[in-house]
Amino acid sequence: MASEDEIFEKVREALVEALGVDDEEVIPEATLQGDLDAESIDFLDIVFRLEKSFDIKIERGELFPEDILTNAEYVEDGKVNDSGIAKLRERMPFADLTKFEAEPSVQNLGQQLTVKDMCNFVAYKLAA
Amino acid sequence: MRWFWIDRFTEFVCGSHAVAVKGVSLSEDHLHDHMVGYPIMPNSLVVEGMAQAGGLLVSESYGFGELVVLGKLAKVKFYSCVRTGETLTYRVQVDTIRDDGAAVSGTAHVGDRLHAKALLFFARLGDANESLQGQQLFQPSDLRHWLSLVGIFEVGVHQDGIRMMEKDYPLEDCSDDAS
Amino acid sequence: MRFWLLDRICSFEPDTELTAVKNVSLAEEYLVDHFPDFPVLPGVFMLEAATQASAWLVRLSENFAHSIVVLHEARAVKYADFVTPGHTLHMRVEQQKSDDRLVHFRFVGEVEGRTSVSGRLVLERYNLADTDPEQAGLDARMIAHQRSTAAILTRGIDTAAATL
Repeated sequence: MASEDEIFEKVREALVEALGVDDEEVIPEATLQGDLDAESIDFLDIVFRLEKSFDIKIERGELFPEDILTNAEYVEDGKVNDSGIAKLRERMPFADLTKFEAEPSVQNLGQQLTVKDMCNFVAYKLAA
Repeated sequence: MRWFWIDRFTEFVCGSHAVAVKGVSLSEDHLHDHMVGYPIMPNSLVVEGMAQAGGLLVSESYGFGELVVLGKLAKVKFYSCVRTGETLTYRVQVDTIRDDGAAVSGTAHVGDRLHAKALLFFARLGDANESLQGQQLFQPSDLRHWLSLVGIFEVGVHQDGIRMMEKDYPLEDCSDDAS
Repeated sequence: MRFWLLDRICSFEPDTELTAVKNVSLAEEYLVDHFPDFPVLPGVFMLEAATQASAWLVRLSENFAHSIVVLHEARAVKYADFVTPGHTLHMRVEQQKSDDRLVHFRFVGEVEGRTSVSGRLVLERYNLADTDPEQAGLDARMIAHQRSTAAILTRGIDTAAATL
C-alpha cells in the first residue's frame, strides 16, 4: 500500500505530464482548474495516467460527479441544494467540501478541487 | 491542399487497433515550402496522420454516428526526418474508450525506422463544447466517401474476425432533415 | 497551398518571446475537408503555427545559424476552442531554455482574447553540413531563402535587435 508521499509523487508526476506545468507549481493546496489550468479534456488525460500509475479503475463521475451537478433534483438556480450536498459528500469522501458548501455554485466545485483532494481520492481508491 | 493525411488502411480491427500508410511525394505543394531546398514531411502533419487513423478507430466505436475531434495532444516525440519518396506507416491502438472520450497511442515508422510516438485524446463534439452539441461536421455521405477512399471496408474486421460491413453503419444521408 | 502558417510576426524579443498572427480564411482549400459542414482551423495547424513562431524566434535570435529547425517534441497541447474563418489566431511563444541542439517553448494561441490552444514544444536545430560537409552550399541557400521570408513576415517591426 503506497505511502502518502509516494501517492503525492505519482500524482504530481501525472499532473506535470498532463498539464505541462512545472514540478514546483504542483503543491497540495493548488487547485486543479484555478491554479493549474486543468480543463475537462485534461481530466480524461489525468484519469488515464492515474489508472496506469496506480493500477486502479476510475469510472466517469467518480472523481468529479458531473451527474449530480447536472441533475435538476440536486441543483436549484445554479446552486447545489442540501440533498445534492449530501449526495456529494457521499460520493466524494476524499474531498474537503467545506469551502464549497459555503458557496455551492455548480461551477465552484471544479474550481476548488485541489491536488490534495486528488491524492486523497487515490488513497481512498487504493484502500477500497 | 486536401485534408487527407492517411492514404489507406492496411489493417483495421474495431475497438482495438489499425495500421495506415501515407506516401510522401514531391508532387505535394506544401513540401516546396517545407523546406525550400530540402523537402521534409512537416511533423505536425505526421500528428494529423495518427489523429486521422486513431480518430476513425474511435469514431467507429461510437458507431460512425458522429465524428470525434482531437481534444488534446498529450505528447508526441520525433526521432528522424521524413523525406520525399518515403512512406510512413502509422500504427494506432485504443488505450481507453469511455463514453466521454478516448485515449489512443500511436507510432509512425518509415520501414523499420521509428519516426514518432504519440498519445492523443479525442473528445466527442458535444462534450468538447456544449454550444456545439448536435453540430454536424460531415454529411453521412461525406464520411462514407472518406471511408471508401481509405479502404476501411476492404480490410476492416470486428474483434471476432467478422468483416465490417458498410450497411451496418448510418452512412446514408437523411432525405428529410431528421438530425 | 503555401506552408506559411503565420501571416505576420508582430513582435519579438530575442531568446525570449515572439508574437504573431494567423488569419483563417475560407479561401484555404483544405477547409473543404475539415469539415465540410463546419470549417475550422485544424488543431495540428495551430501546433504548426506555434512551431513556426518558435522557429522564427530561434532564427531571428541566432541570426539564422541553422538551416533546419524542426519540431522535436510537443506536450500537453490542449485545444480549448475552434478557430473559424474570418477570425485571427494570435500566437505567443515564450522560450524556456535551450542547449546547443534543442530549444524549449511554452505557447498560447488566442482568438479575441480567448484561448484556443496552449501547450509546450521543443525544436531541434542543425545544419545538413553537420553530418555531410558537402551540403554546406545547400544550407547557405536555404538560410538565404529563410532570411527573405523573415523579411516579409517582419515588415513593420524593428529587426535590428536580432542582429548578433
